This record gives sequence, C-alpha cells and structure tokens, in this order.
Amino acid sequence: MTQDNFLDQDTVFSKTNETPGIRAKIIGVGGAGLSLVDGLRLDNFQSVEQLAVDVDSRALSECIASEKLAIGRRHTRGMGTGGDFALARKAAEEEKDSIRKKLDGMDVVFLLAGLGGGTGGGAVSVIARLAREAGALVFAFCPLPFSWEKGRHAQAEDCMTELRKFANAVVPLPNDSLLQIGGADATALECFAEAGRNVSKGISAICSLIFRKGMIDVDFVHLRKAFYRRAGRTLFGYGEGEGEDAIRHALRELMLCPMLHLPEVSKAADALLILITGGTGMGMSALQQAALEIREEFKAGDHVVFGAHVDENMGNRVQIIVLGATDLEAGVKADVAPVADQVIMAKPKSKQSHASKLKSKPIADSTTKGSKKTRTGKKDQVDQNTFEFMEEQNQRGIFDDLSSRNLYEGEDLDVPAYLRRGVKIAV
Amino acid sequence: MSKIIGAVEIGTSQAKALVGEVGEDGSLNVVGMASRPNEGMRKGEIVDFRKAAAAVHAALEEAEKMSGTTVDSVYLAQTGAHLDGQMLRGSAFVASSDNRVAVDDLQRAESEAKRRQPETGRSYVHHVRTPIVLDEKVVEDPVGLIGKKIDVGYWSIDGDDQAIRSALHVISNYSLEVDDLILSSIASATMVAGPDLRRAGSLVIDLGAGVTDLVLYHQGYVAYTGVIPVGGDHVTGDLSMGLRILEPYAEKLKIEHGKASPDPSDDEEDVWIIGNKTIGDRSVSRKAISDVIHVRVVELFEIIRKELGSLLDANELKGGILLTGGGSQMPGIEQVAGKVLGLPVRKAGFPPGIEPELAQPENATVLGLLHYGLQDHSLPGQKKDQEQTGFLEKLAHTFGIG
Repeated sequence: MTQDNFLDQDTVFSKTNETPGIRAKIIGVGGAGLSLVDGLRLDNFQSVEQLAVDVDSRALSECIASEKLAIGRRHTRGMGTGGDFALARKAAEEEKDSIRKKLDGMDVVFLLAGLGGGTGGGAVSVIARLAREAGALVFAFCPLPFSWEKGRHAQAEDCMTELRKFANAVVPLPNDSLLQIGGADATALECFAEAGRNVSKGISAICSLIFRKGMIDVDFVHLRKAFYRRAGRTLFGYGEGEGEDAIRHALRELMLCPMLHLPEVSKAADALLILITGGTGMGMSALQQAALEIREEFKAGDHVVFGAHVDENMGNRVQIIVLGATDLEAGVKADVAPVADQVIMAKPKSKQSHASKLKSKPIADSTTKGSKKTRTGKKDQVDQNTFEFMEEQNQRGIFDDLSSRNLYEGEDLDVPAYLRRGVKIAV
Repeated sequence: MSKIIGAVEIGTSQAKALVGEVGEDGSLNVVGMASRPNEGMRKGEIVDFRKAAAAVHAALEEAEKMSGTTVDSVYLAQTGAHLDGQMLRGSAFVASSDNRVAVDDLQRAESEAKRRQPETGRSYVHHVRTPIVLDEKVVEDPVGLIGKKIDVGYWSIDGDDQAIRSALHVISNYSLEVDDLILSSIASATMVAGPDLRRAGSLVIDLGAGVTDLVLYHQGYVAYTGVIPVGGDHVTGDLSMGLRILEPYAEKLKIEHGKASPDPSDDEEDVWIIGNKTIGDRSVSRKAISDVIHVRVVELFEIIRKELGSLLDANELKGGILLTGGGSQMPGIEQVAGKVLGLPVRKAGFPPGIEPELAQPENATVLGLLHYGLQDHSLPGQKKDQEQTGFLEKLAHTFGIG
C-alpha cells in the first residue's frame, strides 16, 4: 500500500462519470481536522466541496479548503480555544446560522475532527447535529489523543459519546493504535501520514460509491437506508492485494487491518458498506466470494451496501474498504429526525439517479441471491470452511462492554497495554 | 468419625469444587475435585448468573460423584475488584483488679474493632486477625498474662452486597450452605506459603484469569490484601487485538508459546496460529507474542508496586515474593516480576502431601480454602463455632437467605 497508488486512484474520479445531483461536503473542524482536509486529495471530485471550520483564524488561512468558516471570533479574537471545548461549542452554537447555510442541500457530510482538541471536540457535535437536521448522512472520522494524555483523552471520549448521538457513523482513529499502522520501522510521523491516507481512502470509497458508476453500483438511497440509524460503534478497515490472487490477499490484509482491531471498534456490523476496487481483470465470482466472506466476517445482516468498481489504473491490484456500524440500542433512531428522508425520495434528481442505476441493480440483486445460495450450501466448499469456523468463534471480545471501564490512574486497564504504552507489535 | 467438607471457587476461567475428608486425627484428604469452564464471569465477578451457576453446579456434582459422598456446606472463595481492605483496631483496658487478662477483655477489644460498619450496600466478607498486643508487646495468647491494655487489629475486607449475594446464591441454589467466605488471596497463600514463610514476611501474588489477588504477611499476620482487576484474560485479549486473531486462538498461543519477555534466542522463529495448516491460518513471530505479553505483565507488576508502596520492604519480606495461580506458569514471569518489584520473586510450590495432579498453581485457591477452613482463626478462648455462626447469621440476615 503506497501513497502512489492512492494518488493514481484519485485521478480516475473524473467528472465524466460522476452521478449528478448528490452533494457531499467534507468538513474539517479544528487543527487536526484541518490537516486531515489538507491531506485529502479529491481535487478531481467536482461534487465534493471542502469546508474548514476553526476558531483559530491563522490556521484557517493556511488551510487549502475551498470554503472557510471562522467561528468564535467574539470570544477569542481569532486565536485558538486553548483546549477549551465548552468555548468552542458555544462558538459553534452562536454561528449556527452560518453553519446551516454551509450545510444547505448536502446529502452526505464527512466530518474530520480531532476530539482531543478544543475546537474539534467542542464544535464537531454541534455541526453533526446541524447536518443531520439538514437531512445529510453524517460520517465522522475522529483522531483521538494518546491514552497517556489523560485529561484530553477523557475529554475526547466524552466528545465522542456526544458525537455518536448525531452522526450516522463515527470512526475513531486513536493515536495509540495509529502507531500500529505501517511497517515495523515506520516513524510515528509516517504512521500518522499513513493513517491520514487511509481516511482519505475511506472517504473516496464512499464518494466513489455515490458518485461513480461501477461494475456493481448501489445508489445513495441504499446507503442512507443502511446507515439510517444512529451509530453505536463503527468499524473501518481497508486491505489491498496484488497479483493473481489479489482479492484473497486484499481480504487477508483487510482482516489484519489494525483499525479493525481496537477495543472501541465493533466486531460485528448491523450496517456494512463494502467497496471493492480492482483492475479490469477482476473476476465476478471472486468478487462475490469476497463480498460473502466479508459479510460473514462482520455478521452483517440485510443492511449491506456492496459496490464494486473497475479502475484500469489499478492494474492487477484490488482494494477493499469496509465501513460498518453497530447500533447498540437497536431500533433507536437518531435524536434528530432527518427531515429530508422523505424529501430525498421525491426529489426528481435522486429519482433520476435511481433510474440510471437500474441496469446494474439486477447484478447487485443476483449477487445477494447468489450469496444466499452459497451460504446454505457452503459446507461443500473447502475454501470456506475456515471462515465458517472462524465466524462461529467470532464472539464479542472479552472486554467488549463499553459501559464499564476498568480505570486505574485514569487509564482503562481493559484496553490492551501495548496500545496504551505505544509499543509497536509487528504482525 | 471422619467429617466431609467442601470448597468452591467461582473462578473467572474455571469453577472449581473440592470435597475433602477430615480424619479423626485432623488430617485432610481430598476425595473429590472437579473443574468446569465458567463463562459467567468477568474480572472475578459474576456477570451471567445462570452460566456461573451452571458451571459451579456441574463441578460440585462431579466432585461429589467422584468422592462417592455428598457435602452439606462449603467454604467459598471471594474475589473481585469490588473488595476493599482496611485495618480495624480495637483496644480494651484489663478489667480485673489484679491486671490479669481475661477472655472478656479480649472480646471487648474485638467488638470495639469490629464496631465500624461498612457503608450501606457493602458488607464485611472477611475479618482477618492481626497480632494481639498487650502493653505494646505482641503476644500469642494474652489470657492469664498480666497487663494493662489489650490491642487487637483486624484486616477487614468489605465488598459490594450485590456481588457477594450473587456468589452466595450460586451455592444456595445447589441447596448447600456456606461455612465461611474466604478471601481468595488468603486461601492461596495458606496453601503455598507455610507458617515459616508467613512469619518471615512474604507476599503472595495469585495470577488468575480474571483478577490478580495479593496478600502480604508481616510477622505471620495479614498486613494487606488487594485485588487488581487484571488477569490472564487481559493477556489473551491483548494478544487477540495485537496479533489480530480471534480470542480462542489468542488463548491457545498464550498457553503454548507465551513468554513474559522477549527471548532473543527464538525471536526470529514463527509459530502458526491455528496450527493445522487450514486456509486462513497464518504465522506470527514469537517476538510479537512476547512483546504484547511483556507490556501487560510489566504494567501489572507496576500497579502492584504502586499499590503496596512502602509495604514492599525487603527487611519485612524475608520470606520472599511468591507467584501462584494459572498465570504463574507463564515462562519468565518471575524474572519480570522481580525486576519491576525490585525484590527476588519465585514461583510458589506446594507442601508435600498434596497429590501431584492437584498440586497445580491454578488449584492453589481451592485447596487453600479447605486448609484455611480447617484452621482455627478465632481469638484465644473463643470457640470457633461461636464466631462463625455469628458471622454467617449476619450475612444470611443481610441477604435474606438464612
């Protein structure tokens, strides 16, 4: 997985095959959020706008986002919050109207915010709430401070709880575990950069699912349906493979993705988005098989959104990205009822996009049916016995209970010690 | 006539039941023992009553079957992070005009010490007597000696009512009575640290699956007990996450290949996760396994060091530091412990006379329960039964299961 191929991949987001009508916005909030936005390379993605929100006006001026919004000027005169997230929340509340304007008409909003900081931690949940009120599907990617930064860490967890009330999916990116990303000799900076690239990949995966036509498409309504409920825990992972057995290698890498093996990451998903991108040689049966295995691995029920895109620049490489959410309080709908839910069905433009995908939809359906068949008859398939066996064993983790924390001097002892101590484990 | 007694430990990985026969000469013979995997516990506390009860009942049933007899009552081990220990002291002036200590004086001192009630929602689990001091001199039995003032101390462990009640209900559901609740750490220490070691001063660390139990003896008496809510399950969980494998495989790797610190001699070597070469199996380096374990184990002993503070004194711990419990089988763990605690640490052994198949570190607690239960821990001059009944009546009253 190199940066180069990631860049290659972006160049194919040409506007010629973008689906018109659906609007997405990437919003970076606070210092960490802004630098993530700067790291994104979605330049060719015309329908995706980028907005930077910060209290610190100088940081804002350095950000490359196309739109910028300074908040809290009255309180800080353009300086940072100094970690005061209550202040940032207040500032965001006061700028409600201008934030709403920026969110107007958005169908998907990606929020990037470091929850350990003042602005990111305080303002992001306000923006998430406003975005939900505006009818957008909200995905948040949130770096969390190291667990040895005790006060900040505790604050970040509070902020995440708050954010989960509004966002459809909140993907935590704990600094502790970011160190596990990358090769054995990678420096901390390289790890963070790699993590940033992975976030970009996740966002581009969702964008390309929505905006581009592919081998197997799923329209936005499906995505919305799958992630309609408010997020409890989420999972986010990626894998890439190359060569003859590319899909299998990608699957293997996906299962080993450090982002999937964190205490706060769910092991099962009620809603799962699978996106597979591969070169022209990607075979249909291998795709089906991969989708089936991923589905089983995460015990995803009916709410699976599966998309496959062919990209000639991928050569013999295959990339798999999964984003899932588990609703801890099954049946609980978001605190804020997305008002646009019915509206979006009625909007002519979305109807159009729906219709434009009719051709590929039967393929998607047949995949689903096909996988159901294979599921019942899977015992005959040697290939799959392992995964079936593993699935049965794949129960919730030993310390999966998020409600109880085993605190000692501000650290949760149930969280793996190597993560808290920043010891890199070479797998 | 011989007497049958039972012991139950509701452990986080295993529920264990033991049936013992006490001969007329006071000798103890283990006639039945069984363990059942227990999925109803987390960190030493019952989280799923049905599962825990099913495991305990199955173990009891088998132990009884094995012994060919039945038990009426058991000694029950108690652990969990909800337990809290503190020293309660009481004193009394000798009443008689000739300054000769009477049993009555001792009892007054005792009731003063135990006068302090735990907070609401908590009950005492265990009062462990510490030395009797007569006019600032430690004495074994002051009755009949001349003196002015008697001091007694109890290391008293109180716990959450809810947690204690769950454990008691598991036993009462099997139509058994509980003779006494005994702290797991003290039970283990009774087994692996003999009177000589306790007198010399020793620390016993029982590395369980859910929790780590500690007991520290000064001059033969309990000076401190503690429960650290970190155990072997944490190591398994860490391995599962660190190596990105399922927990059953992590547990298997831990037992088969786990080492408490990286070993340069086999670091380069890889081991298979599932081991039967099925598709989906892959190998991990031994170094990755021991790296994950090392960080956790070091942290655990650091917490123990912090908790003990100044009690960790080489001059007071001439008996040494002993490791027992399932986790003590981890190769190299005593070296890591020794390094962190700054004192020599060794694996505990069992006294002679315990059958080899029973003399396993993970059985220390349940074996110790029987031995501790047999000993007399009451004040001199006081009948054992008297104190025990009082204690259990109070518990039964508290929990409404008398």
